[in-house]
Amino acid sequence: MSSDFEPKIVAFCCKFCAYTAADLAGSMRLEYPSTVRIIQLLCSGRVDVLHLLKAFENGADAAFVAG
Amino acid sequence: MIIADRKPIDDIKNMLSPYKKILLVGCGTCVSVCMTGGEKEVGILASELRIISELEKKGWEISEDTIQRQCDREYIEPLSEKFEAADIIMSLACGVGIQYMAEVFPRHMVLPAINTTFYGTTVSEGEWQERCAGCGDCVLHLTMGICPVARCSKGLYNGPCGGTDKGKCEISSDLDCAWYMIYNRMKDLGKLDMIGTFIPPRSWKASLNGGPRKRVREDLKK
Repeated sequence: MSSDFEPKIVAFCCKFCAYTAADLAGSMRLEYPSTVRIIQLLCSGRVDVLHLLKAFENGADAAFVAG
Repeated sequence: MIIADRKPIDDIKNMLSPYKKILLVGCGTCVSVCMTGGEKEVGILASELRIISELEKKGWEISEDTIQRQCDREYIEPLSEKFEAADIIMSLACGVGIQYMAEVFPRHMVLPAINTTFYGTTVSEGEWQERCAGCGDCVLHLTMGICPVARCSKGLYNGPCGGTDKGKCEISSDLDCAWYMIYNRMKDLGKLDMIGTFIPPRSWKASLNGGPRKRVREDLKK
């Protein structure tokens, strides 16, 4: 794997905590890699194995669930 | 219900290797309840196969469908257009469903994605246990509703044997002794006198020993 490899990451974030944190990061002008794609959920408990598989199927290198 | 396990992904991959257009068909009854071959499991397998196809350049085109029952013709027949469009059908139903789909569409090959294992029940979330062997000659009225054919490791009609050990079976300490359970239930229900009732050797003709079984009700036949 080359050192410039930048993984595409899908982040499944709870609207009430993790997404709010990401929002705050934005307000504070904190940067995170553009290869992180956030999907807002009403609750991280909504995440199902099918969501994770779909992320990989569509080319994600990693998925993370935050809530 | 019928309980089943999904086959290892490598076995499934090998079976599908020669084909391009693959139709996965789930069943909405037993295998949905035991979470092996319902709509969701079809989605998971389809997703896994798409990922494999992408990584290994297999060029698979995966389509999915789940019908109410694969053991009834009226649910299978509406799939005819999808069958025609596919090179191969892979079923996530029990052995009955797989065979019946192949019977309804004799020009198509139907592959199994799961191994059918037993008739059982959900004892807790994520755990299923065998309860019936489909032996064709039920003795549950003599054994307090606990089947000695399916649940005694030796299938004893008169027990317990010398291998019973503090309520467990000698073959595994994880396995309850069926005859210990039968004895306790007789005791709890005040029917302990039944333990001495000899159950004579039975004819196994009603089981598979008489060949494949069938049931006919003349009054219902057209």
